[in-house]
Amino acid sequence: MLLNSFRSPFSAIRLSLLLAAVTALFLLAGCDNEPQGPVLKIGYMNCNNEQETMQRFAPLTRYLSEQAGVRFEAVPVDTQDFEGRFKAGEFALTHTNSLLYIVLQHNADLRLVAADKRGHFGARSAGTLIARKDSGIKTLEDIRGKRLVFGPAMAPTGYLAQYDLMLNAGIDPETDLAYYAIPSGSFKHEKVLYGLYFGAFDVAAAPALDLELMAADGKINVDDFVVLAQSPVIPYCTFGSSADLDPAILAKVRKALLGLKPQDTVEIDGERVKVLQSAWVEGFEELLDSDYDIIRDMARRTNMPPYQTF
Amino acid sequence: MTLDRFDRFHGLLLLLVAGGLVLLLAVAESGGGRSAAGVDKAMEQALDYQARVAFVQKLYGPVEDLRRDGQLQQALLKLDELERRYPGEAHGYILRGEILGEMGVLAEAVASYVAALRLNGDYVDARSPLSRQTEIRQLVDDGLRILGGQARSHPENLSLAAAVKNVHYLQSRLAGGCE
Repeated sequence: MLLNSFRSPFSAIRLSLLLAAVTALFLLAGCDNEPQGPVLKIGYMNCNNEQETMQRFAPLTRYLSEQAGVRFEAVPVDTQDFEGRFKAGEFALTHTNSLLYIVLQHNADLRLVAADKRGHFGARSAGTLIARKDSGIKTLEDIRGKRLVFGPAMAPTGYLAQYDLMLNAGIDPETDLAYYAIPSGSFKHEKVLYGLYFGAFDVAAAPALDLELMAADGKINVDDFVVLAQSPVIPYCTFGSSADLDPAILAKVRKALLGLKPQDTVEIDGERVKVLQSAWVEGFEELLDSDYDIIRDMARRTNMPPYQTF
Repeated sequence: MTLDRFDRFHGLLLLLVAGGLVLLLAVAESGGGRSAAGVDKAMEQALDYQARVAFVQKLYGPVEDLRRDGQLQQALLKLDELERRYPGEAHGYILRGEILGEMGVLAEAVASYVAALRLNGDYVDARSPLSRQTEIRQLVDDGLRILGGQARSHPENLSLAAAVKNVHYLQSRLAGGCE
């Protein structure tokens, strides 16, 4: 019967057309995997510049879109603009440092999603105060009357932790140092290290993670400096979500972040790239909001947002 | 050609060494039996251990010095340097686990011990000169109490579950479980 039907030229044409249509349908289904629906924005805290931020996080954003079945868009945001733009409802998700997370959580009901893992302490890092080994500065007490350089003012491990360290040791940075400065422009953490290395400052407030990364890159030598003091370890960069994000989407995003493996890739501009490597992250960890209490206590002691009083 | 006293002494020394080698070969050839082979193997193992202990003490000496001085962050950075040179060396992971434990970063400390044991099981062997059985037992107790407690309070938290899984891995290795 079947063989007989093939003998008819019209049946053969019909069958060929049907096969072609089915093949085209499969091909189209394979190509068109872009999620449908409204675009949800992810605000990424700008570290050095917008171009770098987009390069880092475009692949991660694409990955989250694919995994959650939602159209996400990456938006670089300057630190000082974050709160206003988040309160205005611009972002469904945020990626910020941990101090900004507690500010947005306190002032705008941001919800915790997951924290970046990178370096020795996983989803945490620490602030250090360092001096050149040949400076003669050996202890924290020795920094009185010296020139100190901080990282950016809203940096948890480049400013907040070190300011708190000094206050805890009975050193008031406002009165007990010769002076302190905060570098301007991009790459502030690296400028801090180079400012110390080339003698513009006696003491530097360096994130432990940056010491680790710059030593790994051969930019600094471990034997050239001494760590005068180190803060407790505190949570690192953090993904948060707005309170009105659909819980089902939030669950998919969290699951996707926690499940990310070093070998996972996405296609960006015709090129297949590794998501974690592009984002400079080793993975993501699910912290508890109470893990951030240590930063809240630091912010209270140092009169920093969200607890700042005048 | 004349031979001075120095040459004669070296000639004699060479003859003695050659004689010793011939004697050793003869003993081996005569098949000193299984016990001799066993003794050789045990001696070889003992020499290996001695060499390894001397190697790690020399290699990681600067890290231990920094730890003794309380320079824990610098000790971690020094460990990174060594890891870049000797990426497969388990001892670095053991030291990193100890330092992270001292700093109170428990989940990462446990993960570092797990990495070490996956590379070298000697550290759970009580007979090994590099044994860390006591320390690992303490870490397992702390891990079960602290991380286990947190995981019970937050059963939905996948990261805590993963950390507890690492603690259980150490526990199983202490109990004699293999890879």
